[in-house]
Formats: sequence, C-alpha cells, structure tokens
Amino acid sequence: MTPLLEMQGVSRVYRARRGLFGTGTPVRAVDHVSLQVAPGRTLGIVGESGCGKSTAGRLALGLERPDSGAVQFRGAPMAAPGTAAWRAERAQMQLVFQDPLGAMDRRLTIAQQVLEPLEIHGIGTAAERRERLATLLRDVGLRADLAERHPHQLSGGQRQRAVLARALATDPALLVCDEPVSALDVSIQAQIVNMLTDLQAARGIAMIFISHDLAVVRLISHEVAVMYLGRIVEQGEAEAVFAAPIHPYARALVSAVPVSGPRRLERIVLSGDPPNPAQRPPGCAFHPRCALALARCRTEDPDLVTQSDGRMVACHRAGELARAAA
Amino acid sequence: MAGLVSIRNLRVRFDGNEALRGVDFDVARGEAVGLVGESGCGKSVTWLAALGLLPGKATITGSVMLDGHELLGAPASQLDHVRGGRIAMIFQDPASALNPVHRVGRQVTEALRLHRGMDGAAARAEARRLFDLVGIPDAGRRIEAYPHEMSGGQNQRVMIAMALAGQPELLIADEPTTALDATIQAQILDLLRRLQAETGMALVLISHDLGVVAEMCTRVGVMYGGRIIEEAAEADLFARPGHPYTQGLLAARPDMAGPRRRLEAINGGVPEPWNFPPGCAFAPRCTVMTAACDAEVPALHTIATGHRAACWRAG
Repeated sequence: MTPLLEMQGVSRVYRARRGLFGTGTPVRAVDHVSLQVAPGRTLGIVGESGCGKSTAGRLALGLERPDSGAVQFRGAPMAAPGTAAWRAERAQMQLVFQDPLGAMDRRLTIAQQVLEPLEIHGIGTAAERRERLATLLRDVGLRADLAERHPHQLSGGQRQRAVLARALATDPALLVCDEPVSALDVSIQAQIVNMLTDLQAARGIAMIFISHDLAVVRLISHEVAVMYLGRIVEQGEAEAVFAAPIHPYARALVSAVPVSGPRRLERIVLSGDPPNPAQRPPGCAFHPRCALALARCRTEDPDLVTQSDGRMVACHRAGELARAAA
Repeated sequence: MAGLVSIRNLRVRFDGNEALRGVDFDVARGEAVGLVGESGCGKSVTWLAALGLLPGKATITGSVMLDGHELLGAPASQLDHVRGGRIAMIFQDPASALNPVHRVGRQVTEALRLHRGMDGAAARAEARRLFDLVGIPDAGRRIEAYPHEMSGGQNQRVMIAMALAGQPELLIADEPTTALDATIQAQILDLLRRLQAETGMALVLISHDLGVVAEMCTRVGVMYGGRIIEEAAEADLFARPGHPYTQGLLAARPDMAGPRRRLEAINGGVPEPWNFPPGCAFAPRCTVMTAACDAEVPALHTIATGHRAACWRAG
C-alpha cells in the first residue's frame, strides 16, 4: 500500500542560545527521521521528554518545515506554509493535544468550536453544518445538549471528545495525536482509546500516536518507533518491539513499565539522566548510559539497519542482541 | 505487625461538599502500602487532613492516631514535631515543592536543623551523606545547586533527601514519579524500595498507576468517592478483585504482555460532589448494581482473609 504520509530523512534544527549575547548552539530536535504511515494504520512514537517525538509530529503535519529531508503527503511534497494549497491540506490532517482545555477557546461554545473548521474551509451550507455537528457529537459520544456549553462546563473526558469532534469535522485522512489520553484517568482513558480505534476502523484514518505511555501505544499501534535524542533507535511491528525490544534503550524503556504480576523482561535501571540535546554525546548518543557499550560505540554513530525480521535498529550490537532475544 | 497509623471514620468537608466520606485505614510499622484511585477520590486529601495540611475552610472529623496519640486537633507544636519528623511527605512536582531561590543543600540542612537540631558543619556533612544516599552524583558540588539547575529526577531525589532528614517512621509519597519519564521513574522507585529496606520506615504510596503500586506495595487500598472501597494484599487484589470498581480499573488498563484486547471502559464519570448518589457512590456506573445499592452505602466488610470490600455483592 502506498503510504499516506512519508517522511524521508527529515531533520529539524533549533538554535539554543546560551546567555543574553551567547551564540546559538544547534540542537537537532529531529535528526534524519524517516517514517511512513498508511491509511487505516497507526504509527506509535514513544520516547522520553525531549526525544523529539512531538517535533516529529509537527513536521509530519507540515506545521514546521524540515531543515533537510522531505515530507510527502499522498505522494506529493507538502505545500509551502501560508499558501492556499497548504490551507487546503490542513483540512486533510489534524492534530489532537494532551490538554483539551488549552486546545479550546474558552469563550466559544462546543458547537462553535466544532463547526469552526467547516467555516474556515468553507464546507457545506449552514443547515448542512448543523447536521454535521449532530453526527460528529454522536460519533465521539457527546450528548447533543452539551453543544451549547463552554469548555469549562465539561469534564476532562468530555473535553477531549469535543476536541476530537472538531478534529474530525473536516473528515481528515490523517490524525496526529500527541499524548491524547495522558491527562485522563484510567477509566476515561479507556473510553477515548476505544473511541479512537473505532473511528479509525470506520473511517480508515491514518494515525500517528505520540505517547510516553507504552501500554496504550502497544494497544493501538500497528507499528512503533522508539526515539532517543532526536533519532529513531528502533522501529518495527508494535507487538514484536514491545515483546522483545532489541536496542538497549528500547529494552530499558519497555522494562521500566511497572506491571502487576511477573514481568517478562528483567528491569534495566539506567544510570543518569538523558543528556542535554545541545550536547549530544559523540558516537552512539546512548553510549554513556548503555551497559553494553563497546569502544566503537563511543566514536562511531550506528545507522538504523534492517534486521532479519524486518525490524530496524540503530545499534552496533543489534545482530547479536536480536539473536539473544530470539 | 504493630500498628503505626490508624485512621477511623475520617471525614472532610469543603464548602458543604464532602471530599472524604468516612475513611478507615491502617498503616503498620515498616510496611509498604499503596493507595490507588482516580482524580478526586480523596487519596491525597486523606493524608493532608491527617497531617493538618488542609486549608482552614476544611471541616475535618474522625480520628487519626499515630502510635496511640490523636493527631486531629493536636496543637501546632506537636504537629510540627510529627510533620517532617515522624511522618514525611513527598509530592508529584518536586520543582514546586522546593524553594527556587535557595540552594538545595540549604533546604536539606534546614530540615536537619528543625528536626534533629543539627547545625553548621555537622548539618552540612549529614546533608552530603543524604545526597549520597539518594544517589545524587557529585553530592559535594550538587549541594550548592539551585532547583532549576537540576533535572526533575534529581529534584525528586533532593525531596527524598529532605524527607529522610527527619528520620521518619512513615514516608507518604504522593504520586512521586508521575511527572517523571519512564526510565527516571524506574530509578526513583528503585531508590524508594532500597531506602525502605535500609531504614525500616513505612511507606504509603499514593498513585493512579496500578502497576507502580503493584510493584512497590504489599498491601493496597482502592479509593472511590472519598472512601476506601477495597483493601487487600497486593497479589489478592490483582488476582481476585472483589469490588466492581476495582475490577473495572484493572480491565480498563492496557497490558504490556499477552494478546491485545479491547479495553473495557467504565461507563460515565466520577459523580460530582453536589450530585452524589444516596447509596453506593459507584452505583450509577456499576454493571451489577441492584436496588439495595441505591438504598444504603455498603460497609467495608471482610470477603476473604485480609481482604475487605465495600460492595453488597462482593464475597
């Protein structure tokens, strides 16, 4: 299947200034990332704060321009930001954030906010829009009478449903969800996760699901990419990656998830904090925290290499680790 | 095990709304016990009330005994000795719990002065020992740092060092790792486990994450609507949850192993304080409710050895 969205070797560099008159240090927030997502499929992106997963999502949506590499939507390069073509593309892809209250306008009713994208993109007549509103609210499981309320009159779960209704208003082909359930309680989180999978099944939406919650990502993703300091260190079929991660960082991350009952992976407790992205260690960026690092890891940056099972891993020892895990 | 803290029929009311509706809970010396539940269920309020840390508008009734001494309504001088001394508390967001304009070492030495009467060089040496104990690398230099110069994980270690300064018999950890990344969370949980074993202090771990509690605690209490609705040994609770809410929480949580299954969401949401059901607080969301559930609040009763649930149908 041809991918709906494809990122090829995409990098995004920010300049972090030190002090008032200091010169900028380049920070590679996203570094040579290649991803693709097909219609009806979900790609999960996991990693810790500052690993570049949110920036990758914004690059996928064309909200930021890559400094190098290319992003293609439906096989064609993205339109330049601000142009009419770019605005038309916006209707095709939508972003859902963690904090629904912050993503909404507190002065507008739910109905006004859900209908706003239709007005902006000039879709339908007034009567058709009202009808569309009723359908959207039903699809996300919001009672019709909540349409006239304001965001602060809704619970957190209801707000996230309203944000989703707004995102779905233009019938997008791609949804980028950045920590969409992280602020919600477990019982409400399950409602939203089920709704996302149902909506995807019904409409064939492609999703990029960015989260630090590995159990949720495992549940809803077909494929997963693990990021560390701006790069993908492991990528493959979600269940396989979570069952037997190969990259030492991916292993530590998966093994860190607290579970009840016996664990399959022995807990690996990493030493230290993730390094400052502005001071990326030479060689493999993970080597200072890696228990398996060799001399080579300190100097030579490993490429993302496809393994025998189709998984991609950026580690000099990937081959032997894959054999040991199998 | 000898009892350390005993909470009986603890009730808290804010502006006419009840936040706690009769909490009964015990903590034994040296044990690690977890409190789980969703936002607003009262798990933090229970301990803030017990330690006299709620704002003045809160009306508190019931009893909180520490070693046979009543804490509710105790004079401030006695509470000052308990808080940070016999019972210490750490919170979710260490950066806001620390004073941003003071060096972290000074904040620890202040705790040492207050609770152990240590001063000068002795306090500084002890602060350094505590920094080493909680695994802050290069302790001698980090003691001079300000909170904003340290990462979230390091600040939480400083908080733990401060909590340990009073040599507490009980540490209340309120969502201590919720704001931290997964691998840093693993480090902090590891540290808490080690400190508990070394010092013999009891630990109350408040968390919304069932996995964290399962790994850290031997006994777990589940809260809903301002009450404990189930309490059991950790293994029993996860293997044989008795209350429909606990069953729902476990089914709603995605697994890291086994086949991928559709989550079983609990319908609806937590009741608003002004619209509280007359009987069981969970009845409106419960799939097995009967007429009796709306008539009367079910008491916490024993359904198996060491296993209690507040449900008419459990057991």
